Amino acid sequence: MDFRLPPESVELAEAVREYLAGTHGPDVLRRLDAGGNRDLRIWQGLVEMGLTGLLVPESEGGLGMTLLGGALIARECGRACLAEPLVDTALVAVPWLIARGETDDLAVIAAGEKLVALPHAVNPWVADGEGEELASVDPLRNLVAAPEDAGDDPLLLDLGALMSAAQLVGLAEAMLDQAVAYAQVREQFGHAIGGFQAIKHKLADVAVALEFVRPVLWRAAQAMDDGLTSAPLHVSHAKYAATDAAYLAAESAIQVHGAMGYTYEVDLHFWMKRAWALAGAWGDRNFHYHRIEDAALGGAHPLGPQHTFA
Amino acid sequence: MKLGFSDMEEAFRRECASWFEDQMSGEFADIRGIANLVDKPERRKAWERRLAEHRYSCIGWPIAWGGRDATLNEQVIFAEEYARAGAPNRLNHMGVELLGPTLLALGSSEQKARFLPAIAEGTAIWCQGYSEPGAGSDLAAIRTRARRDDGEWVIEGQKIWTSLAQFADMIFVLARTEDGTSGREGLSFLLVDLDQPGIEIRPIRQINGEAEFNEVFFDGARCPVENMVGAEGEGWTVSTTLLSFERGISTLGQQMQFRNELDAVIAAARRNGKTADPVFRQRLAEAEIGLRLMRYGALRMLADGKGGALAGAALTYKIQWASWRRALGELAMDVLGQEGEIAPADAEGWPLLTNLYLYSRADTIYGGTNQIQRNLIAERGLGLPREPRGNA
Repeated sequence: MDFRLPPESVELAEAVREYLAGTHGPDVLRRLDAGGNRDLRIWQGLVEMGLTGLLVPESEGGLGMTLLGGALIARECGRACLAEPLVDTALVAVPWLIARGETDDLAVIAAGEKLVALPHAVNPWVADGEGEELASVDPLRNLVAAPEDAGDDPLLLDLGALMSAAQLVGLAEAMLDQAVAYAQVREQFGHAIGGFQAIKHKLADVAVALEFVRPVLWRAAQAMDDGLTSAPLHVSHAKYAATDAAYLAAESAIQVHGAMGYTYEVDLHFWMKRAWALAGAWGDRNFHYHRIEDAALGGAHPLGPQHTFA
Repeated sequence: MKLGFSDMEEAFRRECASWFEDQMSGEFADIRGIANLVDKPERRKAWERRLAEHRYSCIGWPIAWGGRDATLNEQVIFAEEYARAGAPNRLNHMGVELLGPTLLALGSSEQKARFLPAIAEGTAIWCQGYSEPGAGSDLAAIRTRARRDDGEWVIEGQKIWTSLAQFADMIFVLARTEDGTSGREGLSFLLVDLDQPGIEIRPIRQINGEAEFNEVFFDGARCPVENMVGAEGEGWTVSTTLLSFERGISTLGQQMQFRNELDAVIAAARRNGKTADPVFRQRLAEAEIGLRLMRYGALRMLADGKGGALAGAALTYKIQWASWRRALGELAMDVLGQEGEIAPADAEGWPLLTNLYLYSRADTIYGGTNQIQRNLIAERGLGLPREPRGNA
């Protein structure tokens, strides 16, 4: 057994983190919120990084990475609160098309010239699709009503849930970072508030939750890469745990910011609303909870120590 | 102990219910059930005046000042029926529930005569000038200054998180009136007219897009020296008296609103089939238990209180309801599932449960954060040593 992450995937994720930190800060979110929501220049930058072709085979002009490598990038998209539909196209639609043997569009997708927004029966909407527009609680998310004939392909559901979970982890990490930074500079009673146990314990609880959700996410991605029959169980666990961690991070970060955390002027709400939106995407908390319940109690997956890592 | 209400009280309940229903289904139907605090301010001002015409604006006040000298039970009944009818949140909550009782307790007879009638008549809307950018949880760190000049106080400084200031006529201000003081010493409690050149009000946009609270800037704003409540330098005592009313009788109507919100969550669960799910059945039952617990707790605490203020044991109430409601907001979003992400694009505002989820984020912050409440419970209630503090 080897639970280490592949170094080349980690290096790429770090490069993406650095790139997004430099080009996709809160000022960009505010500009997008003020009008437009989408910006071709941001998209072009992602294409130039090769991110649209992350999972596209090298023979089609992509990087041919694994889902685990893709999940590492989805986490960075969450951390940066990226609004462009990179995850849905490059990390959900591409592997789904490959699995179905529909490879005609892969080169065009890798070149950044085609977006794919896939409907699924579990979602009442399609993100960045075409049709009747719906308003999301997230001002940077563009939704349309789902078509009535949306399919319910299980692989698509798992891919969507896995990559949502990865984004939720990145969102939660970013909210914790913002709260920690604020707790270090905001002073009350003559001290930085981060010095008070009421605040530091709250943030420590978020750190603990995040530390234990990340391995669940990596486990789920690897299970999908390995094509395990238990992969849906692992994905549900990841989505459920990531949703809880993101809710905890959002609630704690707002609380630590005090009244400032409740304003539109503080950046935090962009991350909080994205987490809120993704919590319901590709199967909500309850949906995945019941998939775990069914797996644990329904006999579909063998229990016992010899199966722990299966 | 005697629970339940007398025949006379039940008659008062019918009278309230019938009058509210008439108003809310008739002339004031357009402001019925408004969930926020900022829509249709002119209509809400008209509603304040209508309440006054019926002597319903401040029923707990003495008859001489426009009230009904209502008993605790009558006030409970009034608050319940008010919320049950879906009447909008009071625009003059600060005047009626906070400043009025404070003036009745600590104001001079001149101050009562000057300020109480306009509150009772619904013609003077008040707001609260306490928090500052550097004085939130640490309220005593106030830096807004007032100095005497020719029979007036002249005020310099800034307040923040001032709810509804954009609709208010008057503000009560906690300001530092003594040079070289810090903390609770040297503060005074002043009553200030907002309609003057030395005051600027800037709304702050909240995460739900609305602007309920404001920054209020004082740049040479003035009020007569006789507008000081209590003695000079004794403002902290006045402000804590007022805060005891903030957590008092006015919270009972809020519980009826909580009842409405829980009912809406249950209705949503019925609609989408979640009531068949044992997980949700248990969580909804827990919310019901929590609501009843708050209700009996608050009624018991009020029974020991005086003049609508909660007794000392009531330190625990704020954290209890705020935490309950924040959890209800999360439960609401779990009940809605994917549906919870969809928000309407129109100007009518967000749906009740979406707004509940967002608004309840603030409940554990304003009026003393959960962290501050726990410190108060531990330090004042249990007598534990005070947390180490800085120079303040």
